[in-house]
Amino acid sequence: MQPPRALWVPFPLGRPLGKADDAPFQQSVIQAALNLLHRQTGPVLEDYPHDAPAIDNETPATCPVSFATKTSEPASWKTRLSREIGELAPWYELGRRRRGGRSLVGIADASPQQNIQLLGEQLDNQALPTDFVWLKRAVEDIKAYYFEAMTAQPGDYDRETIHKQFWRDTQFGAAVLSLYRQLQNSDDDRQKMIARILAPREAIGAAKGPLKEKKT
Amino acid sequence: MVRLSDLPDYERDHLLSKNMPPLGPPVWTTPTKPLNQMRVALITTAGLHYRDDQAFDFADATFRPLDGGENPDNLIMSHSSVNFDKTGFTEDVNVVFPLTRFHELVNQGTVGSLANVHYSFMGAGLLPQAYESGASQVAGMLKQDKVDAVFLTPV
Repeated sequence: MQPPRALWVPFPLGRPLGKADDAPFQQSVIQAALNLLHRQTGPVLEDYPHDAPAIDNETPATCPVSFATKTSEPASWKTRLSREIGELAPWYELGRRRRGGRSLVGIADASPQQNIQLLGEQLDNQALPTDFVWLKRAVEDIKAYYFEAMTAQPGDYDRETIHKQFWRDTQFGAAVLSLYRQLQNSDDDRQKMIARILAPREAIGAAKGPLKEKKT
Repeated sequence: MVRLSDLPDYERDHLLSKNMPPLGPPVWTTPTKPLNQMRVALITTAGLHYRDDQAFDFADATFRPLDGGENPDNLIMSHSSVNFDKTGFTEDVNVVFPLTRFHELVNQGTVGSLANVHYSFMGAGLLPQAYESGASQVAGMLKQDKVDAVFLTPV
């Protein structure tokens, strides 16, 4: 792209300023970028020399909710998904209060609880969603709800661990991966495109064998 | 941008496959005034907007204006990509859109002033040429806002 002045930073994708809630570190990144303004020739591409401050991971990350099922009886997608999001509700609310009411949930018209039920019904009926705008926004909203609940635990959280827990351990993660596989296997290019913006390559790569629902 | 060596193989290969030809000749302007007299705007490609704005579509070259006087905590993100972490933004807007940090720099006298309006695009799914019209429009509005420099934050 050759922007006139660029500072390369070694932080995970999605965090160009490095670390959340660390104003001094964010200021050091900004200052390094602003220093490039005084260069007389370009284009300039300079490396930022510091990694983001490490998180406190002396204590292994504990998810605030146990995603283990409470019954050995098989249950429908709708039942499992509704139960799971219900268990996350107090943690979602706690996280939202802690951030002064801020939440990323709200891209979709209906609530995450309503949308997860509808998705569950469609999976139970083996009916692929046809309204892709609704599907994408519903999935993003529910994901935001889960991540806001899962990161509400006290202390630092490890980004990679939280993402792995979401895609490996939750019913909703399994539901999205199931939708991904069905859309990806379609002959329709638009369905394949939608599949790619539902689940990250990292989760798809980590899923071993055929993607299927979590065992109850 | 993350280190390629920190990515799984499939993610690294995906990014390396996006090797594009240079986008025209490099653009270069030498500042004519010190930073503490400059007016700065923020532009992000993180797909940010206010709750009552239209969300970004799956592939979308439009942009959203972000009011410099509004609390950035009111911003949400509808970026269509699922291949970057959004939990940092949930926790702290400034990790993506550092408006509070720039207000601090103005208050310290490091930066002259901030634009009245900042801008958000969604960088995904389209080639750079698709953004030419919106980028030109934003450039015109930055001039109207007397902006001297822009701080860009891709995700």
